[in-house]
Amino acid sequence: MRIPLLPEFPPLSAGPREDRWGYDPDFATALEPWLDFMYKRWWRVVTNGVERLPPEGPALIVANHAGVVPWDASMMAAGIRRHEGAAYRHPRFLVLDWAFSLPWASVGIRRFGGVPASPDNALALLKEGHRVMVFPEGTKGVGKPFSRRYRLERFGRGGFIELALRAGAPIVPCAVVGSEEIYPKLGELPFLARLTGAPYFPVTPTFPLLGPFGAIPLPSRWRIEFDDPIDLAGLAPEAAEDRARVFELAEEVRERIQAKVFQNLVEREGAFL
Amino acid sequence: MSRVLVTGAANRLGTVLATRLLADPRTELVVALDTRTPGLVPDRRLVHLEADLRAPDLTRLLAVHRIDALIHNDVLQFPEPGRSARMLHDTNVVGTLGLLAAAEALPELRTVVVRSSAAIYGSEPNSPAFFTEDMAARFALSTRWQRDVSESEKLVGALARRRPEVACTILRFQPILGRSLDTPIMRLLGSPIVPTWMGFDPMVQVIHGNDAVEAMIVALPAGVRGPVNVAAPDTVSLSRVLRRLGKTAIPIPPGAFGPVLRLAARLGMPPMDEDTARYLHYGRGVDTTRMRTELGFTPALSSIGAIELVAMTGVAAG
Repeated sequence: MRIPLLPEFPPLSAGPREDRWGYDPDFATALEPWLDFMYKRWWRVVTNGVERLPPEGPALIVANHAGVVPWDASMMAAGIRRHEGAAYRHPRFLVLDWAFSLPWASVGIRRFGGVPASPDNALALLKEGHRVMVFPEGTKGVGKPFSRRYRLERFGRGGFIELALRAGAPIVPCAVVGSEEIYPKLGELPFLARLTGAPYFPVTPTFPLLGPFGAIPLPSRWRIEFDDPIDLAGLAPEAAEDRARVFELAEEVRERIQAKVFQNLVEREGAFL
Repeated sequence: MSRVLVTGAANRLGTVLATRLLADPRTELVVALDTRTPGLVPDRRLVHLEADLRAPDLTRLLAVHRIDALIHNDVLQFPEPGRSARMLHDTNVVGTLGLLAAAEALPELRTVVVRSSAAIYGSEPNSPAFFTEDMAARFALSTRWQRDVSESEKLVGALARRRPEVACTILRFQPILGRSLDTPIMRLLGSPIVPTWMGFDPMVQVIHGNDAVEAMIVALPAGVRGPVNVAAPDTVSLSRVLRRLGKTAIPIPPGAFGPVLRLAARLGMPPMDEDTARYLHYGRGVDTTRMRTELGFTPALSSIGAIELVAMTGVAAG
């Protein structure tokens, strides 16, 4: 096993192929060896159900969100890429607004396909035919304590259902198992969160105790599963106005993901070994 | 459309605009209004009106020309020594107020086209990648120029309400690029080094000066009501722009950006206004659907095309 510790890290200045959203395919390609290392060696990810993603046209990939630092999106993308090969279409990610006020990180996230999580961005991307990844739990999911692992939080206000209806895009539920163990969050330092403007400031067994080394995620074992797409084409876009219907659909998606999470948790057996 | 009043006729865009209007044989008359004399080729269909927008006798001065269209192009964008922020407000807002008051009294008036700015949307880390026209109130107006733009637009809205037969178009331009333009962005690019925010590389979107003039001309017969974003459809990251222009970026740590620039201004570097500083930090993109479909206008140059043209012809003012 060769640990690719020093593949060339991509420069943050834009290449000539960036698109109007700031996604830079050359940057994303340059990150692949790093992500593949995390995928294959570090977390030994098993991904199932990639064939259920629509091969063309828009899709809204809805997943659970966990792990304090959201590595899940990049691993889902790596999973899709490794299964689809040449047919791979890079998804776009809805990312917490706060991340775009951070130096360097904001640039890297955007070049990798992240956009500020606003419905306007998501709708425009879907209408352009992109695959869009969304994590309706948001910071409630990533920032929840370790004791509440694998219990999905409330799915926002169901905005992602409205989006799918308006864009006429199918919803692909996705369950991620393993992300909860990468940084077990034991507590919080609200004072430091206020100081940095961050949504929360986590305390894990290694952070902030070991300083920067605490940022190294634990090598848990991961499973990712894409479920059958939910086609909302039978519903008119006007259904987006129907609050009760939107909530109902959001809850349905949440329950399906929760069930898949439990199923994969059992199938995974050991969390680390 | 035949008898047109052009304000700010002595600034670069206004001069080109008036010339383009006179090149059209259907134009009966161009009234060029400015406090300075515009450098226009004499024409028997051209009238110079040396007056201030705030002049109390503007109504009387305009009445004789039976004007049916107005292009308001007299906007100042940045304070500098000898031109304070207060003066900017006076010219932009009080000037627009005076002009529109005079325009309201013109019985033949049917079209008003106002040059506004996409700066009204602001530059924010969490903004949508592309602002549509209805998102002007999405973020609080944080700079003086933003507030001025917003106030001027409200005045145009008031005229549109009182004179429903007048089609009032507000063109919200992204920063305008052009070799001989004196805009904040051109001043910035005119210097061999460009200060940037360390760790940030915003997406920027611009429009070339020629396209900006063309948009104002197209807007005259189009008669679109309300705001329309005007910009090239593509966005480009700042790092790519600077690389293309061969400029050296000087990254400044975010906390030190303001103080360093103030110090540089003291040492004789061109001062930077707040809006440009924010634009360099977070950038801004606008949605151009309304421009293409309702205004029926497509810029000849993309953002990167405009930048390439500037790179070829140089950015020296003059």
